[in-house]
Amino acid sequence: MKEKRGFHLTAPTWCKGCGLFGVFEALKTVAASLDFEPEDLVIVTGIGCHGRINNYFRAYGFHGLHGRAMPVATGIKLVNPRLQVLAVSGDGDAYSIGLGHFLHALRKNVGLTYIVVDNRIFALTQGQASPTTDFGAVTISTPFGSRDFPIDGPALALGAGATFIARGFSGEVTHLASLIERGMKHDGFALIEVLSPCITHNKVNSYDWYRKHIVHVESISDYSPRDKAGAWEALSHPGKIAVGLIYEEGKPSFEDLVLPDRRKPIASLDPGVDRTRLRRIMEGFR
Amino acid sequence: MIKDMSVMIAGKAGDGVLFTGNVLAKLLKRQGWEVATYRDFPSNIRGEDTCYTVRSSLDKIYGLGDRVDILLAFDCAAILAHLPEIAENGIVFCDGEGVTALSPEKTRGKTFHRFLLRSMAREKYGREIFKNMIALGALSYVLDLDRDLLEQIISETFLKRKGEDVVRTNIEAAAFGYEKAREMTTETERHPLTRKEDDDRILISGDEAIALGALAAGCRFFAAYPICPASEIWQALVHDMPDFGGVVVQTEDELAALNMAIGAAFAGARAMTSTSGPGASLMMEAFSMAGMAEVPVVIAHVQRMGPATGMPTKSQQGDVLQWIFGSHGEFPRIVLAPGTVGECFDMTVRAFNLVEKYQCPVILLTELDMGQNYRTSRTFDLSAVRIDRGKLVRPGELAALPGFKRYEFTPDGISPRSLPGQKNGIHVVESLEHDERGYRDEGLANRLRMMEKRMRKLDGAAVDLAPPQVWGFEKADVGFIACGSTLGAVLEAMDELREKKVASRFLQLRTLWPFPAEEVREFISRSRDVFVVEHNFAGQLATLIKSQISPCQELGNIVSASTREFTPRAIVEPVLKAVR
Repeated sequence: MKEKRGFHLTAPTWCKGCGLFGVFEALKTVAASLDFEPEDLVIVTGIGCHGRINNYFRAYGFHGLHGRAMPVATGIKLVNPRLQVLAVSGDGDAYSIGLGHFLHALRKNVGLTYIVVDNRIFALTQGQASPTTDFGAVTISTPFGSRDFPIDGPALALGAGATFIARGFSGEVTHLASLIERGMKHDGFALIEVLSPCITHNKVNSYDWYRKHIVHVESISDYSPRDKAGAWEALSHPGKIAVGLIYEEGKPSFEDLVLPDRRKPIASLDPGVDRTRLRRIMEGFR
Repeated sequence: MIKDMSVMIAGKAGDGVLFTGNVLAKLLKRQGWEVATYRDFPSNIRGEDTCYTVRSSLDKIYGLGDRVDILLAFDCAAILAHLPEIAENGIVFCDGEGVTALSPEKTRGKTFHRFLLRSMAREKYGREIFKNMIALGALSYVLDLDRDLLEQIISETFLKRKGEDVVRTNIEAAAFGYEKAREMTTETERHPLTRKEDDDRILISGDEAIALGALAAGCRFFAAYPICPASEIWQALVHDMPDFGGVVVQTEDELAALNMAIGAAFAGARAMTSTSGPGASLMMEAFSMAGMAEVPVVIAHVQRMGPATGMPTKSQQGDVLQWIFGSHGEFPRIVLAPGTVGECFDMTVRAFNLVEKYQCPVILLTELDMGQNYRTSRTFDLSAVRIDRGKLVRPGELAALPGFKRYEFTPDGISPRSLPGQKNGIHVVESLEHDERGYRDEGLANRLRMMEKRMRKLDGAAVDLAPPQVWGFEKADVGFIACGSTLGAVLEAMDELREKKVASRFLQLRTLWPFPAEEVREFISRSRDVFVVEHNFAGQLATLIKSQISPCQELGNIVSASTREFTPRAIVEPVLKAVR
């Protein structure tokens, strides 16, 4: 096994106690345990506190636009399916400005691992309500209490036909790492939502609060991540948040479906001029 | 001898006007004529007025001209709509009733034939759709077109998809139309066209030429969202891309299309997207990203009438300034404007080399008139196609470099580029301001150096850009400046002006940005009256020229906000008024 250090570039400067530290540790653990080198990994991020991870993690990185991680990651994966393409977003990125892209990457079943770090707030912009903020929550953008009902990412993904849905918790790094590792081995789109406290701008959804509210699906008797109805039930539990591997199914990945040959990455093709073939196409215009 | 002939086919959307026009265009081309087509369509599938003009000439033509010689009208409304365009001694074939409703002064000098296409098609072949082939047969009698060629085209069109029976019935219908026309018309109404050798030419639209150019240039990733009039680029690529090992992706919107192409380009593909007005506006965000990240992505924008959804099936040059000055922040970009289908091919190939050499977004800016209409062209020269991948590093080179700097401060501002998966090439593409390795750096000194690095990338680019093309007399008082698909109208206006003893020259801009200020200044200084010709309301090209040439003499501006193609007449009249 390689060392975690190989993927550690610099010490993060997130607020002390930020849930993102747990995600960072879990990611390094997974990267070290899987059989690939830093150059085989691309981390695509959006805009938010999570996006700083490219500056701390040793791998190829793409810190793009707010909400657009999915199409960028899809482009990378299609051009070079040999790469492990991991996207990291926040709740604003994935469920607000980038919601459309999220659902479409998911329904295409692109072979991406999508880690959505949900802190239920827009933290980098100083604490506005996000799509996962609780109804009634007072934030700087909702001084009279949020009037929006929150989005449940995993439930949305289940309805939209996701082939891998997991939810972890920043306070349980080993468990989170195991979910990310399974997600990265999944051939197709893997959503791993992470319950991740923002200790600066969200005083309600703290580590303790999450500990009181999560329920591990592994502890539900006879729970099978292959059973969609069971997954719905777990996600619909009133007052409890299901964590663990919630749902998994096999379906051909987008790369398998659309690439002429995924063993011959477009990135490694010689873009030489195939004059014979081109001439034949031109004949069609005579 | 007839040297120029325009046939207009008009009816309702769903009538098969497009099909009939396309067969006629192909037939005329195979008969050795130069062809230019023009489709005037509603943004609707069925029921509204539509027309298709096929102009053919023995001389090289780039556009439509001013005149219609023969109108084939599938209904009365089509006659009423187009009668003023019909030339003296023109012929009108009309299906159905209504001709009697026209006043004698409107119809003077024109011959009318009631030609009950629909009922004939129904009676003889059981289906109205055969009216199109009867009409083509009739036209081939009047124009004395090569009937063997017509049969050959019918066979090519139907044999694979519909089988031998359909081919046979269509050939019969064409022969029937031919005989009917012989019965109806007098010999003096015939306009026999000569036949020439159809040597090494193709009949192709601008969109198809861009698609072919992209494949030739090694484009192996294409992502787009459906939009008129750019979808034909995609449709022309989608069948052949797998054979080249590449992929075409339909995205959820244009935001995704450009972002996906950016991701693909970052990973090492020659990548492209295409769009039109509303999609281009959505792409502005990622356009800026490509500029900041220095990712080589090609964007084809086929302009249509805006603003908003505007008129999706009408052409305009209303988005010229969008890509030159558009999006947030300042970053280099290259905007190319092909004026012929041949240039659509050549400049697409060029775009893919420029984009990797200069590592900034390259825009191919055309218009619906260029994109969707067909022109004859010499077969594209594949032997001239070269691939230049710029400062893309080879894996061997990377091992030698200590700490790879993707955004290295180099004298020309262009930095080496590695691809994900390459050892020792690790870097981050960062949308935030970044240091040489791509990591976030918001320091003042770094910001200033990084801005200068990016902005100087195009300082020496002029040698690689398509210079303006000068047409016409070396010395002339009247000078035209235009770009894109107004070229045909300008060139024919110059011919008409010459007949009226007015000599003129024409500077065709082929690169809009970086702006070729030297050449334009020189051209303007050598002309007494300069007219900027453009297909928009506010004179965007003139605004661009004036912003880049200072001081600049008074420029005439011939604009048109019309939904129709620019005509030579629209240029000749204001010029004569101004210079006389």
